[in-house]
Amino acid sequence: MSYLKRRKIINILALTISTLCAALGLILLFIILFDVLKEGMESLSFSIFTKDPAPPGREGGLRCAFLGQGLITLIAALVGVPIGVLGGTFLAEYGKDMKLTKFLGRLSDMAMSVPSIVIGAFVYAVLVLPLGGFNGWAGAAALAIIILPIIVRTTADMMSLVPAALREAAFALGASYHKVIVSVVWRSAMSGILTGILLALARVAGETAPLLFTSFNSNHFQLNLNQAVPSLTVSIYQYAASPYESWVKLAWAAAFVITVLVLFLNILGRVVVRLRTKN
Amino acid sequence: MAEQKSPPEDILNVNNLSFYYGKNLALNQVTLPIRKNRITSLIGPSGCGKTTLLRCFNRMHDLYPNNRYEGEILMNSHNILEKNVDIIALRSSLGMVFQKPTPFPMSVFDNIAYGLKLKNIRNQNTLKEKVEKALRQAALWDEVKDRLKENATGLSGGQQQRLSIARTLAVEPMVMLFDECTSALDPISTQKIEDLIVDLKEEMTIVAVTHNMQQAARISDYTALMYIGKLVEYDETDNIFTRPKNKMTEEYVSGRFG
Amino acid sequence: MFSVTLKNQIFKSMCAFSAVSVLLIVLGMLITLVVESFPALRHFGFLNFLTTADWNYSKEIFGALRPLTGTVISSIIALIAAVPVAVGTAIFLTELCPDKLRRPIGTAVELLAAIPSIIYGMWGLLVFAPFMEKYVEPVVSASLGNLPIIGNFFQANTQGGVGLLTASLVLAIMIIPFIASISRDAFNQVPDMLKESAYGLGATRWETLYQVVIPYSRNAMAGGIIIAMGRALGETMAVAYVIGNRHAPLDSIFSPYSTITSVMANEFNEAANLQMSSLFALALILFLANFLAIIAANRFLPAKK
Repeated sequence: MSYLKRRKIINILALTISTLCAALGLILLFIILFDVLKEGMESLSFSIFTKDPAPPGREGGLRCAFLGQGLITLIAALVGVPIGVLGGTFLAEYGKDMKLTKFLGRLSDMAMSVPSIVIGAFVYAVLVLPLGGFNGWAGAAALAIIILPIIVRTTADMMSLVPAALREAAFALGASYHKVIVSVVWRSAMSGILTGILLALARVAGETAPLLFTSFNSNHFQLNLNQAVPSLTVSIYQYAASPYESWVKLAWAAAFVITVLVLFLNILGRVVVRLRTKN
Repeated sequence: MAEQKSPPEDILNVNNLSFYYGKNLALNQVTLPIRKNRITSLIGPSGCGKTTLLRCFNRMHDLYPNNRYEGEILMNSHNILEKNVDIIALRSSLGMVFQKPTPFPMSVFDNIAYGLKLKNIRNQNTLKEKVEKALRQAALWDEVKDRLKENATGLSGGQQQRLSIARTLAVEPMVMLFDECTSALDPISTQKIEDLIVDLKEEMTIVAVTHNMQQAARISDYTALMYIGKLVEYDETDNIFTRPKNKMTEEYVSGRFG
Repeated sequence: MFSVTLKNQIFKSMCAFSAVSVLLIVLGMLITLVVESFPALRHFGFLNFLTTADWNYSKEIFGALRPLTGTVISSIIALIAAVPVAVGTAIFLTELCPDKLRRPIGTAVELLAAIPSIIYGMWGLLVFAPFMEKYVEPVVSASLGNLPIIGNFFQANTQGGVGLLTASLVLAIMIIPFIASISRDAFNQVPDMLKESAYGLGATRWETLYQVVIPYSRNAMAGGIIIAMGRALGETMAVAYVIGNRHAPLDSIFSPYSTITSVMANEFNEAANLQMSSLFALALILFLANFLAIIAANRFLPAKK
């Protein structure tokens, strides 16, 4: 066999193996998606949104868990988004040339990758132990800590993409720096920042580990943030491993809803970016 | 003053070649010969199809889907555009040098030896000999002989481009295809590479795409002017620049359009 | 009314404070974890804590060795399984995939990277673990299980498919989309001209990929793989269900075992005193390991602007 022929055979073999690897990976991932969608659709009924948890065997829902998770995420966003956007603004504008900024940027990268269960343990130590028990505030704090560095980072990145000429044009009109930032830089970086926020929310929407030790879960309709608050993801965690069929079904249904929500937020983020690049 | 000696033999013959990017016609019925041991320049305004034509010679277009050739390019009376042509073998007999230097992420030595190893040359002494020869041909040996083990990306731009040429020379191709290979270089590096190309025609045939008319006039024996996918005029370089037959050629070489 | 300068000053201070809050949180986290784990680390000694295998509630002896090895082994198996599949996917997406499918499949892979880990964990428990028990374990233990010396290590166990290998594979599936996306982006960064130079010398597609494209993207890929490893190390929900969280020596690759995150997820809410402090010490180890991974990754990744 000539050397050239051998090379061609190796080429075909290697590329076939690559394709098979790709097929394996994609098939596995789509099987997961398919299972969640199939089991979820089968188990999903409207009562999941209208009823509260019931003992095994009786028809229950996860109304309180949706509301509780939503409330905690909302509070986390109300805290994390403004601080994140302002912090990112500092990195991209006021602190652009400071040494501290480079360090803070690196630190945000690191903070972004801290395992979420470690964040849960941290919040447990500072907000659960001193307050005497699981509470919604602690859950919101844990989620806010997760989204903060993501938003800092994307805001800074997006703002530094705004051309310097645009800022200079605004300065030339006599605007002060904060005016330039708010009315020119933020406005031009708006869609990028918005995408960062959406992706951060998508990330925390499915978080479970940081809630386990903070706001935990409750089977009752209760939205008092001084106590444990019902959580969708923690409910999935508990129900999926339960021996009762009705609870496992509820877990599939909830997993379906969360998956659809997270995919929706991600697609929305992409659409926002694409709309900007089209304009 | 007409020369008496007959033109040298043709190594490649482009016959009625048309080329499509998907549905876009990029080359329209081009016919021209490529003479052996001569330098042929392809000139014309950007988008005229000169690079497209160059990339037909080594079937570079086959890398991307939906490209289509019509007509033929004859090499030893075989049409190299036919489906059953061994593209890998074809490419190793036609070397190509690009607009920008393309050092592979490996040492200087391994860069030059790359094409040799593809031809199953494994003997270290043979490799060393051939690498040195190629580097000398590319006028790079003296500058890199002590840096053969270093990563090629550390060389200067001009050196990297001569490295790319040496890498192509090492496999001793019959034809060298240069695609605006000096466009990213400073005048001194450009000068070195032009000298090098002129020296090379002793051993091989050269086709060079250039947007620099002075360069075409300086180095080439034959020049082809192209415009929107068509061949406008092909002739000896002297004729193209001093006695063009076509009005458009005259306007182009005198700088009135393009 | 505030003057314009004062407004600017206030705005600037708010921005500065927000930026520094990231530092305060990270520092706060480090200090809290050190303080909370101090009782355990003082009681057992740091090195001793790391090298003790026991995790025994009644004797009040807690050591990190097993959860730590569980974390490391599961992450390594996950990487070994995921990297070839992910790089194959990236090769397919950049070089082989028909143009029309490139974007949809690429986007789908990126979207799959965003699916919450609890979904992977739940699927692992309800679908994948039974599959492992029914199809994979019998085959492996009937073949590799008969090997001398190492055969025992491939013996099936009867725990419903839950165990170290199952957890590792669920982790692997989870990190495939991430590594595939990073590798694909890295491959796309390779200039066409560089690839064409290799083709121009007569290289085949595979030779161009293996000898030019992959070496050129080496750093970006290494950075991405380290970040993926960081994710695997710190992943909780994909692992907690399917690892079994058993405190016993690892006798087979199919046996239930524990990781730092599985111990934390399963025991944190019922722990007190020394056990609680030991759990914080595990969290501290994870926190530090993760920082090391990110520092390592940053050495490979090109500096961001």
